[in-house]
Amino acid sequence: MRLFKKTSIDFMGKRNLWYTVSATVIIVGMISLAIKGFDYGIDFLGGTELIVQFQNRVEISAVRGALDRAGLGKAEIKAYGSDRDILIRTTTITTEQGTSVGDMLRDALKSGFPSNPFTVQKEDKIGPKIGAELRRDAMYAVVASLIAIWVYVWFRFKFIYGLGAVAALFHDVLVTLGLVSIFDGVMNLEIDQNMIAAFLTLVGLSVNDTVVIFDRIRENQKIFKTMPLLELMNKSLNETLSRTIITSGTIFVVLMVLLVFGGEVNRGFAFTLTVGIVTGTYSSIYIASAVALEWVTRGKAKGALVK
Amino acid sequence: MRKYTFKLVLIAAAVILSVYFLYPTYVDYSLQKQLHALSGEDSLKFVEEKESEIRESRAKRIKLGLDLQGGMRVVLEVNVLKLVDDLAKNKDETFTQIMTEVRAETKRSEESPVLLLRKKFEERQIRLSRYYGSLRDDNDKIYSTLEDEAKKAIDRGIEIVRNRVDQYGVSEPSIQKLGTNRIIVELPGVTRESEVRQLLQGTALLEFKLLREPEVAYRIMTAMDNALAQSIGVDSTDTTFAATTVKDTSAAATDTSTISTPEGDLTAEQFARKHPFFSVALVSQRYAGEAVVAEDNKDKVRRMLDREEVRKVIPNDMVFLWSAKPRIMNEGKRYFALYPVKKTPELTGGVIVNARATLDPSYNQPIVTMEMNSEGSRDWARITGANVNKRIAIVLDDAVFSAPVVRNKIIGGHSQIEGMDNLDEARLLEIVLKAGALPAPVDIIEQRSVGPSLGEDSIRKGLFSAGLATVLTVLFMMLYYRGGGAVADFALIFCILFLIAVLAAFQATLTLPGIAGVILTLAVAVDANVLINERIREEQATGKTLRAAIDAGYEKAWTAIFDSNLTTFITGVILYQFGTGPVQGFALTLMIGIITSMFSAIFITRVFFNILTDRSSAKVSFG
Repeated sequence: MRLFKKTSIDFMGKRNLWYTVSATVIIVGMISLAIKGFDYGIDFLGGTELIVQFQNRVEISAVRGALDRAGLGKAEIKAYGSDRDILIRTTTITTEQGTSVGDMLRDALKSGFPSNPFTVQKEDKIGPKIGAELRRDAMYAVVASLIAIWVYVWFRFKFIYGLGAVAALFHDVLVTLGLVSIFDGVMNLEIDQNMIAAFLTLVGLSVNDTVVIFDRIRENQKIFKTMPLLELMNKSLNETLSRTIITSGTIFVVLMVLLVFGGEVNRGFAFTLTVGIVTGTYSSIYIASAVALEWVTRGKAKGALVK
Repeated sequence: MRKYTFKLVLIAAAVILSVYFLYPTYVDYSLQKQLHALSGEDSLKFVEEKESEIRESRAKRIKLGLDLQGGMRVVLEVNVLKLVDDLAKNKDETFTQIMTEVRAETKRSEESPVLLLRKKFEERQIRLSRYYGSLRDDNDKIYSTLEDEAKKAIDRGIEIVRNRVDQYGVSEPSIQKLGTNRIIVELPGVTRESEVRQLLQGTALLEFKLLREPEVAYRIMTAMDNALAQSIGVDSTDTTFAATTVKDTSAAATDTSTISTPEGDLTAEQFARKHPFFSVALVSQRYAGEAVVAEDNKDKVRRMLDREEVRKVIPNDMVFLWSAKPRIMNEGKRYFALYPVKKTPELTGGVIVNARATLDPSYNQPIVTMEMNSEGSRDWARITGANVNKRIAIVLDDAVFSAPVVRNKIIGGHSQIEGMDNLDEARLLEIVLKAGALPAPVDIIEQRSVGPSLGEDSIRKGLFSAGLATVLTVLFMMLYYRGGGAVADFALIFCILFLIAVLAAFQATLTLPGIAGVILTLAVAVDANVLINERIREEQATGKTLRAAIDAGYEKAWTAIFDSNLTTFITGVILYQFGTGPVQGFALTLMIGIITSMFSAIFITRVFFNILTDRSSAKVSFG
């Protein structure tokens, strides 16, 4: 079976159109982010988070009422997967008198729903210091991986290709971050450690795709020494198109399985990667290669393009 | 075929090794399943029968993270400020005020609390010696002593926590030091929060308890043995029998420490039936008054001690306490000592002022010296005076760390403990003795718990997703690349097998994000074969023969596969550095997955293709 006959799509010729598309998606995402802000999970926020499962269906408003009566009105309450599971979060761990907020929440729910018993599925208490540290570490990790990849691609190909790859990664991270913010309400997404792991994996997979294309460009440059770069890139992109679509398609399907069947805990992770694999595939073509092309056509790099 | 022998043997070896590493996981799974089917008495019996098998498979199976099996993870931080506060003497208002200021500052500053304290003192031109050390000490000396104490507090804290967790009986706990002043404690299967809080934060209790005289202890143990024999239902009315074997058992136990039959006509099995207690708890003559129990039998003896009929024969003023650490005896087997001690402690650890592990200069033997305050010294002199040649157990939170024999009456509170095998053992005792006097105040700064039902749910969903993803990928590859896809599918299955086996071999922990990592590995492994197969198709299109196209395809796809996998691997390394627990599990799975996928997607498929295309008439379709 073959999905792609020999193609000859003029990828690079239409790059200006796609710049606009990318810019629009990023701007819309950033606006959403600016309005909504980061929806941090408990890892980065610090505080107490309880996930409880009731025996029977329960209304969020009823939970809120029960907590209000116990003086815990500030708590954030969300449905978690089903209508029996509730996530409750507060920014404190103990009251000023030293009582555990987790215990208070339990008591409030116990007296609020005497005929609907519940079990605590998960309880996290993160001190403010830890939250701040995790935020800092997450930032370091993302920056470190961007730098490491730049250095690697630079070392293996050429400076400008490294720059192209990193530009594509920035693009992917921004697009995904924006989409996470837009779909936040619908999908119940939060920025937590798993999400950061997803972002770093996205960075790895995106560059994976980019490198395969660069590899083909490098190979073709050795064969077609006089071909103009734009044409050469188009040729290489067309040659690798089948592989790009098949691989990304497989990863996409696998991630969709995880998104649909993987459960609530994996939701944010799977969503981020699913978006990431789409934008990563796209950016390998329209950002990574295009940035290198722009640089060369504007006469900033001369001589052999690839080591 | 012959030229591939080596490669085939290599692949077969990898598969056999994988099965070998995964077998305990399978055994553990099937044992658990059998156990779940049983109930009450039957399950207890099952556990007793299969004790060693269960233990062995459990130790070697794939470890599940807390997010999958349920449990609690706690991060403790030594509260240096509280420690420094505890250490100060002659505290006055100025001191309290400075402490309040430092406390406020530590919330903002990254610097060590001790340094902040020193700065505050120097700002006010108050010498640290007003509250610490002796008057002649200068600030530098006191400062370094305090920093030193802060460093030691973490070791004390770890030892206290480890000891308690051991006594609490959590299976497979993990206690690790994180950085300079944090402890990570992972307790699988534990979710009762208040108990854990008590377990980790309560003040350590150090006690000195007198061992019962060997004859008394032996009489009680014999009574326990009889009671057990009777209740288990064997005619063991012949109590004189046990009495006559007093010497025999102890002698046998001393020289071999293995179960031996005191009377020639009794087989080991018969002996075990007649003497349920003595068959597992060996009475030793060298360490008078205590019994030793092989590690494998510890739980069994614990259960015996809990039985009604056994509790009835143990006098009210006596308890059995376990040694904190096992003793390695002949053939490397590990034995725990069981000490019959008086319930009421002779003295508690608050009286200890100092303890130090050193080498005895004259004999070059490790010793621990211990000093007590004047009140403690008085009591100590009386206690030791009345119990010369008896043994006193040093007990921390109900675990015995040492049980030295009192040589003579100790006046002045300065004692010396000898007989440690090495300096590490002596250092441990030093930590234990100090723990009684000087607490290691710890704060819980992070606590996560996952209930068992959520864990089970996660496993189910994770495995289902992984299974479905595998099926879809395998079907797609077969459909799209035909023969080439089928070969790639084989490699894919090998890749997952190797990945899980490596996890088991390294005793790595499988977490929920780790399962996601396995699923992602599937995609990465497929990618390599997609690259190769696409290349082979391209080469075939140029008119090459099948064999030539395959060779060229592998050769040309190699750099792309290597470069792209390496970048993913780099992010995996960074992720492992940054992440905690579950995220690290993901990073690890991803990294191992990349390696196993390279092996199977490049090496194994190549061997397959080569064998398939060896005959020139052979055909492999690439779709």
